[in-house]
Amino acid sequence: MLRRILFIAANTFRETIRNKILYAILAFALFVIGMTFFLADLSVGDFARIIADVGLASIHIFGVIMAVFLGINLISNEVDRKTIYILLSKPVRRFEFIFGKTLGLSVTLLLTTLAMATVLFLVHLSYRYGGRAEVGIFIASAGIYMELVLLTCLASLFSTFTTSVLSAIFTLSLFLVGHLTDYLYVLGEQSKVAAVRWGSVFLFYLLPNLENFNWKNEVVYGGLKSFSILGWAAGYLAAYAACVLCLSCLLFARKDFK
Amino acid sequence: MTNSGRIIAIEGLTKSYPTGFWRIPFCVLSDLTCDVHENEIVGFLGPNGAGKTTTIKILNRLAFPDAGKVTLFGGQVRDGADVRRRIGFMPEQPYFYEYLTGGEFLRLCGQLCGMSRADTESRSSKLLARVGLSESRDTAIRKYSKGMMQRLGLAQALLHDPELVILDEPMSGLDPMGRMEVRGIIRDLKAGGKTVFFSSHILTDVEALCDRVIMLHKGRKVAEGRVEELIGTETLYIELVVSPILPADRLASAGIPPEAGYAQGPLHVLRAPDNGQANRWMAALLREGCSVHSCVPVKKRLEEIFMERVGGSAASGAAS
Repeated sequence: MLRRILFIAANTFRETIRNKILYAILAFALFVIGMTFFLADLSVGDFARIIADVGLASIHIFGVIMAVFLGINLISNEVDRKTIYILLSKPVRRFEFIFGKTLGLSVTLLLTTLAMATVLFLVHLSYRYGGRAEVGIFIASAGIYMELVLLTCLASLFSTFTTSVLSAIFTLSLFLVGHLTDYLYVLGEQSKVAAVRWGSVFLFYLLPNLENFNWKNEVVYGGLKSFSILGWAAGYLAAYAACVLCLSCLLFARKDFK
Repeated sequence: MTNSGRIIAIEGLTKSYPTGFWRIPFCVLSDLTCDVHENEIVGFLGPNGAGKTTTIKILNRLAFPDAGKVTLFGGQVRDGADVRRRIGFMPEQPYFYEYLTGGEFLRLCGQLCGMSRADTESRSSKLLARVGLSESRDTAIRKYSKGMMQRLGLAQALLHDPELVILDEPMSGLDPMGRMEVRGIIRDLKAGGKTVFFSSHILTDVEALCDRVIMLHKGRKVAEGRVEELIGTETLYIELVVSPILPADRLASAGIPPEAGYAQGPLHVLRAPDNGQANRWMAALLREGCSVHSCVPVKKRLEEIFMERVGGSAASGAAS
């Protein structure tokens, strides 16, 4: 079973790295991150902080674009192009297909995030006014990567039952809501209506809390030095992603291909 | 080996798909019961929309029936990996990962079927040579023509040396040479002890290849049996080929209705309704100084049977 998942993952990885659009997005992302070197010159104040701030935001935005763009097509392309017919007629179970596809894309996102983080790290290191080796860039990028993996799982969930366009809308909506769930909780606490309080708590736990992966401010203000913070976030990712993938597998298990 | 040698057993298979905004069920298969025995070549016939591809998808777990049971090798179709290893499937107009080469795609198929690298390489080389794609092994699939895709589809279906081969329209998109090669491959599979179940619109191929045929129309089975049983022994007419071409008045004077024949180049082709007439006509034609080139009894072909069954079914469907 594991071997088949790995073979599908390897093929998905090969599919994504042979996708020219991925390279176009990555090249533009690296260009923008590289340009923070000059952006800092134009700003007033803590130059290195500007580099980290804008650079991490760029990694985040371009990472989300890659995850959503590739994630929504992960399953639906296979169904639309009917390549899934041959794959599923082999001794491959449907859940192995879902897990393999998600794993393959996660590896691609790992490499692209690592490339962007490395460029940002080098820009930060080589900046002439107060440049330093900021290991926090990699820690914050690890958080961004975990968020991208979760978004990939959500995109693949949506692509099991709806079109690419709707999958993109749903995933981007959850991306936005996922960064605002703390406010939802606070909103519920302030309400005097029990139903609203319970409803907000329910939604708080149901929706993905993407702020669990957000340590950009800590890096910018120099407060993040230890990789130990990754543990809790990794646990949250594992639990949430497992639930999303299981739901995907359930929806996909009895899907008819017309 | 399975109970009573049945490789595929389909009982009461019913399937409908929701259509339109209100998702009203549209029945594509209705109470289909049929089977395929070991080492048979079985043709699955029917016009477009008859339910052939749906049945084949159900056999390959790509769709699920509303009712009925499908048993492969004596076990339920959902039994999964072990059963899948014994089946080779080629979908209609197969699509592949365009970013892979033909060789890379077969390697992926071999990996998914649990084959060793050495086995995959040797089987791939043999099969690519067999389907005429050896030189395109390292060419990206996006550069393949429709016929090449069809050939690659056949190669991937046979890669893991399956006992049962299910082919959905294997001849479509192939040139006459390609069709002949596929016919040869199907015959070789039978000679190698395999079972082949394939759908096709090309009735001459089905007639030439199949031990048995199953005909579907509007989701229902309209005929099933051995080709020779369906065709029967009944003679449709006796075809006489004579020369020179006789004018209508000479034919009439010889007692042959002019509308019974037509000119074909320098020859005159006549269709006698039975043996007695054929003998009388032949004697008369010889008296008129004609040469008789051939005298052949023409029997029903699968095409006529197909048109009868499908046409009859369509008419009864319309009446009901």
